[in-house]
Amino acid sequence: MPETTPNPWNDPTAKPLIQFKNVTKRFGNFTAIEDLNIDIYEKEFFALLGPSGCGKTTMMRMLAGFETPTSGTILLDGQDISPIPPNKRSVNMMFQSYALFPHLTVFDNIAFGLKRSNMPKGQIADRVQEMLRLVQIEKFANRKPEQISGGQRQRVALARALAKAPKLLLLDEPLSALDKKLRQETQFELMDIQEKTGTTFVIVTHDQEEAMTVASRVAVMDHGKLKQVDTPDRIYEAPNSAYVADFIGEVNIIEGHSTTQRDTVSIAWAKGQPEIIGTLSKPGMDGNVTFLIRPEKIVISAEKPTDRRNTFQGKVVDIAYLGNLSTYYVQMPNGQMIKAQAANSRRRSSRPFTWEDTVWLSWTDTAGIILDR
Amino acid sequence: MRRFTWFNATSLTLGFAFLYIPMLIVIIYSFNESKLVTVWGGFSTKWYGELVQNEAFLDAALVTFKVGLVSSVIATILGTMAAYVLVRGGRFYGRTLFSGMIYAPLVMPEVITGLSLLLLFISIGLDRGIVTIILAHTTFSMCYVSVVVSSRLVSFDRSVEEAALDLGCTPFDAFRSVTLPIIAPAVISGWLLALTLSLDDLVIASFVAGPSATTLPIKVFSSVRLGVSPEINALSTILIGIVALGTVTASITTKRAVVRRRHEQQMAVQAG
Repeated sequence: MPETTPNPWNDPTAKPLIQFKNVTKRFGNFTAIEDLNIDIYEKEFFALLGPSGCGKTTMMRMLAGFETPTSGTILLDGQDISPIPPNKRSVNMMFQSYALFPHLTVFDNIAFGLKRSNMPKGQIADRVQEMLRLVQIEKFANRKPEQISGGQRQRVALARALAKAPKLLLLDEPLSALDKKLRQETQFELMDIQEKTGTTFVIVTHDQEEAMTVASRVAVMDHGKLKQVDTPDRIYEAPNSAYVADFIGEVNIIEGHSTTQRDTVSIAWAKGQPEIIGTLSKPGMDGNVTFLIRPEKIVISAEKPTDRRNTFQGKVVDIAYLGNLSTYYVQMPNGQMIKAQAANSRRRSSRPFTWEDTVWLSWTDTAGIILDR
Repeated sequence: MRRFTWFNATSLTLGFAFLYIPMLIVIIYSFNESKLVTVWGGFSTKWYGELVQNEAFLDAALVTFKVGLVSSVIATILGTMAAYVLVRGGRFYGRTLFSGMIYAPLVMPEVITGLSLLLLFISIGLDRGIVTIILAHTTFSMCYVSVVVSSRLVSFDRSVEEAALDLGCTPFDAFRSVTLPIIAPAVISGWLLALTLSLDDLVIASFVAGPSATTLPIKVFSSVRLGVSPEINALSTILIGIVALGTVTASITTKRAVVRRRHEQQMAVQAG
């Protein structure tokens, strides 16, 4: 795949905007962040993704200056920011609750930070107007926060955080309070605004779709540790652990024992079943392995396919009809459940398979991921 | 709407009668011509005229208002500071002790507070007068302010203060430009509470007041011991009038604010 834009994280000479170096944060006995190293580059849209309590919010609060690391250093533009209080950092934050000032109008909310900088008075009004235009809320400049809707408040919060043109904008679950339709629209707007302003965005979210949509890179976290940092497609198609694969989207996890011959791997996973054939991703994969395969990579058919090597027979136990696609839960003779997805591309066709049907599941050699166990 | 029933009407009448007949009697007798309190001698406003001439009462009223204003302002400042530290200060050494001690005057019998303040003022050689009354009233009304203000602080979103810091405020600037305007209603009601408590305090004031300064409640109480004079009735009527006016104004203002807020929210829903 040819790269259209150079990616700074693949360029060893690129200078990161933010560097976490061996950062650990403890609250009493609880370790929120453990020995974390990460580089975030200028103009990135970087997503911190993980379940609640994984430390992503703590990371963001350390960047904003509301928490200080227990050990390790955080560099912003090469400068250690630990001793700098939040009001002196060129970092602004958009809060999950929006944290708008209820006693000020929309205009004054956006002007709040500018009035506390050395910007001349005359320029403040122009800058606020520019921000109001950017997020399309010019009409509401003189309203109080309680006089506008939730979606408009979210825009005010974004405009207020962007007004001072920070080097880094932090977004703490910025869209979680919006309904699904509005959230999807706003995701694209966020990307648009990020591109227009050229600001580095770091977003914290527990919504994997949101992270995949907006981010240039995603960091998957669990229990204060980074599990994987990569582009959304690499995270999805080449997860480095069963945890990451399971956290992002759906996956079938099959455990087995592998033997390699040249560049193919055969995995014995159940007695009396043919072995799973896969391709080798790195040398030396003999032994206990985990085989991961996404449900949409599995084809379900009534007849045994002849064009691929991985074919297994099972029985349909459950069908989840989701409208655009259906997920079939197919039980193998050894009891292993395998999920296969099929797109419902025709509107008026009776379902091809139903409960208790015997079906064939098949996939190509390169469809799955093989990980050491 | 609930229907009219004889039971409701009776209980309402009895309740109002129980609450307001004593006050009504005071108001009626304040317009009594006769010097004898319990004998009706015809309508007259002469006792109001005499009240205005009575310097002792006027002095006492002036002292009461001075004490009330000064002590309630000091109590509001100190009480707000205490509430802020208790709610926002996190865990600091001695926090539990401090929070227990600040609320102690709420449950302490007034007689004991008054007596201990009296002993303190005597031992440090402070002459009893308007200063000692102000100090005593500040002491006991401050904890009421801090209770009112801290309940507001607890319910308010901390991230609003963090947002102010994030946008370049120093902690003091954040308090002044964001926290204070948001908690202002609680601070004002705490101040009104402190003012009211100071205005009608009798027990503590009678311990710490000296011959140079007497508050109105003390004056009224001591003159009633020599027999109820029609002047006292007139004074009471004026006080009842002031309180009634204040209450009615407050409830109308609150009602208007509620109506306006509802209207604004409807506008927001339509705009959204």
